Amino acid sequence: MTVAVRRWLALVVGALGVAVLVGLPQIGAGAGYDRIGPRVFPAIVAGGLLLLGASLAVFGGRPAAADPAAPAPAPSGVVPMLYLGTAGLVFLVLVERAGFVIAAAAQFWLVARAFRSRRPVRDLIVAVLLAAAVYAGFSIGLGLALPQGPLDSLF
Amino acid sequence: MDAVQALLHGFGVALQPGNLWWAFVGVALGTAVGILPGIGPALTVALLLPVTFQLPPIAAFIMFAGIYYGAMYGGSTTSILMNTPGESGSMMTAIDGHEMARSGRASAALATAAVGSFVAGTLGTVGLTFTAPILVELALSFGPAEYFALIVLGFTTLSAVLGDTPVRGLVSLFAGLMLGLVGIDLQTGQARYTFGMLELLDGIDVVVVVVGLFAIGETLHAAAARRGDAPRTTMTGWTWMTRDDWRRSWKPWLRGTAIGFPIGALPVGGAEIPTFLSYWLEKRLSPHPEEFGRGAIEGVAGPEAANNASAAGVLAPLLTLGLPTSATAAIMLAAFQQYSLQPGPLLFESDPELVWGLIASLYVGNVMLLVLNLPLAPVWARLLELPQPLLYGGIVTFATVGTYSLNHSAFDVALVYAVGVAGFLMRRCDVPVAPAVIGLILGPMAEQQLRRALAISQGDATVFLTRPLSATLLALSVLVLVVPLVLRRRRR
Repeated sequence: MTVAVRRWLALVVGALGVAVLVGLPQIGAGAGYDRIGPRVFPAIVAGGLLLLGASLAVFGGRPAAADPAAPAPAPSGVVPMLYLGTAGLVFLVLVERAGFVIAAAAQFWLVARAFRSRRPVRDLIVAVLLAAAVYAGFSIGLGLALPQGPLDSLF
Repeated sequence: MDAVQALLHGFGVALQPGNLWWAFVGVALGTAVGILPGIGPALTVALLLPVTFQLPPIAAFIMFAGIYYGAMYGGSTTSILMNTPGESGSMMTAIDGHEMARSGRASAALATAAVGSFVAGTLGTVGLTFTAPILVELALSFGPAEYFALIVLGFTTLSAVLGDTPVRGLVSLFAGLMLGLVGIDLQTGQARYTFGMLELLDGIDVVVVVVGLFAIGETLHAAAARRGDAPRTTMTGWTWMTRDDWRRSWKPWLRGTAIGFPIGALPVGGAEIPTFLSYWLEKRLSPHPEEFGRGAIEGVAGPEAANNASAAGVLAPLLTLGLPTSATAAIMLAAFQQYSLQPGPLLFESDPELVWGLIASLYVGNVMLLVLNLPLAPVWARLLELPQPLLYGGIVTFATVGTYSLNHSAFDVALVYAVGVAGFLMRRCDVPVAPAVIGLILGPMAEQQLRRALAISQGDATVFLTRPLSATLLALSVLVLVVPLVLRRRRR
C-alpha cells in the first residue's frame, strides 16, 4: 500500500469518526432510569474511528513492514470500470421500464465486456438465457414477482 | 448419553429426502465455489441469503453447511492440479500437491486430500457433537458481562487474523459498527442516524451489506486486476494411493484434525492458521524434511485434514454461543437472524430439531463429498474452463436479482452497488471486508449486553474486570491485538 493510499484511508476513517460525532446530539436522550443512554455506544464507535484514523495518519508514512518486495498493484483499468458502472446504471434505469429480463440481460452483457470478453454474440445469448431462467425460477419457482416487460409475456 | 440421543434424533431430520437434497445441493455448490478462485463460501452463502428466505430454516442451514464443507474439499483440487488455490485454506496444499501432480502422482495427491478431508471432517463433526453440549452448559452460566467480553474477544481476534495488520482489521470492524448504529435504539426507541428516512428506521439490511461487499466488491476488484491464466497440469492415468501412501498419510490426517478443530473452535478463526501449523508440524516430524516442497504426501494430507477439521470447529462457537469465528460463519449468523433465530444455548433448547438436524447433516454431507470428489476430481477441475466474463456476469445477475427481490425496490439495488464500490476501495487499501460484516451483526448485540451489564451493576464499569470469566476474556482480547505487534517488532 502506497503512502498516498494510506493517507487517504486515514482521512476517510477520521471523517467517518467526525460524522458519527456530529450526529450524536441529534439522538434523543434515553429515559432517566437507563444507566447508559443511546448516545454512549455511538460515542465509543466515534472515538474508535478517530483513534484509528489518527494512528493510520501517524504511522501511515512508513512503508508496510513486510511487503517491500510485494509486486505493485496492477494499474486499475478505467475501461472495465466504465463498463461496470454503465452496467449498474443500465439495470437501475431499465428494470422498472423494460422489465427484468431485458435489464438483467443488458447488465450481464456489459459486465462480460468489462472482463474483456472477445465473444459478444455468445455473451448475448448466454445473457438472455440466464436472465430468462432467473426470471422463470424466481417467479414460478419461488413465487416472487419480478418486473415484467415485453419479453416476459413469452413465459 | 444425551448427545448421542440428540444426534440420532438429528439423523431422523437430516435423512428426510428433502433435506438430503439440500445437503447435496450444498456440497455440490460448495465444491464448485471451492474450485473457482476468488469465489468462496462466504460470497456464495451471501448470494443465497435472499433466495433461501423462501426455504424452511433447516433446509437453508443444511445447504449452507454443505457449502462450507464442500469449499474445503474443492479448494484442494485446483491447488493440486493447477497450483491455484481456490481458497486461502488450500494454499499450503498447493506446495507439495502440485509437485506431486507434476511428477505424475496427481491422483494420489487428490486421493489423500479427499480421504483426509473426509476423516478430518467426520472426526471434527464428532468433536462438534460432543463439545457442543459442554459449551452450551458453559454458555448458560454467562451473564451480560461475559457475553460482552466474549463479543469483544470475537471482534479483536477476527480483526487481528483477517487483516495484514490489526489496525486495518479494526478499521473494517468499526465501519461495520458504525453501520450497525443506524436505526431505532432497541432499549429506548430513539432513532439514531436515520436522517429522517423511514427506510433506515429498521437499520441497514445485513444482506445488502454482505452482497455488496462480497459479490459486487469482488467483481469490481477482479475486473480492475485481472489474473493471468493458470498453468495447467494434465492428468496422466489414475493410480490409487499405494500402500506406502496410506502409511505416510494416516498420521498427518489425525494430527491435522487435532490442530484444525480446536483452532477453528477457539475464536482465533479461519482455516489458514491451522493449515500453516499442520504443514510446519509435518515437516518437523518427517524423517525426510528435504522432500517437503518437492512432493511430500504428508504436506498434502496434514493441511487438507486441518482445513476441514477447522470448518467443523468453527460451527461449535457459532451454534452454542452465537459467536462467528470466520467470514462464512458471520454470514451464517446473519442468516439465522433473517429467520429471527438467535444461535446460542437457548437454540439447543428451543429448536433441537434444527441444531441436531444440522449437525447430523454434516456427517451425511461428508460422505456425499467423498463420493463426489474422490472419483470426480478431474471433472470438477474442468469448471476452471468457465470463461471469467460469464462467471462474473452471472455473479452480478444473482447479486442484483437477490437484492431486488428483498423489498422489490431499485433503491436497495442502488445501495448494494454503492456498498460494492466501498468494498472495492477497501480491497484496494488492503482492508479486509469480513470484519465489517461482523461489526454490523454483532455491534448491536455488544451494545445491548454492555448496557444490560451496566444496568445490573448500577453503572459500575468495573463489573467487567471483577467477574473472573469476563476479565479473562477481555485480557485475551488485548493479548490478541498486542502479541502480533510485538512479534512483528521482534522480527525487524
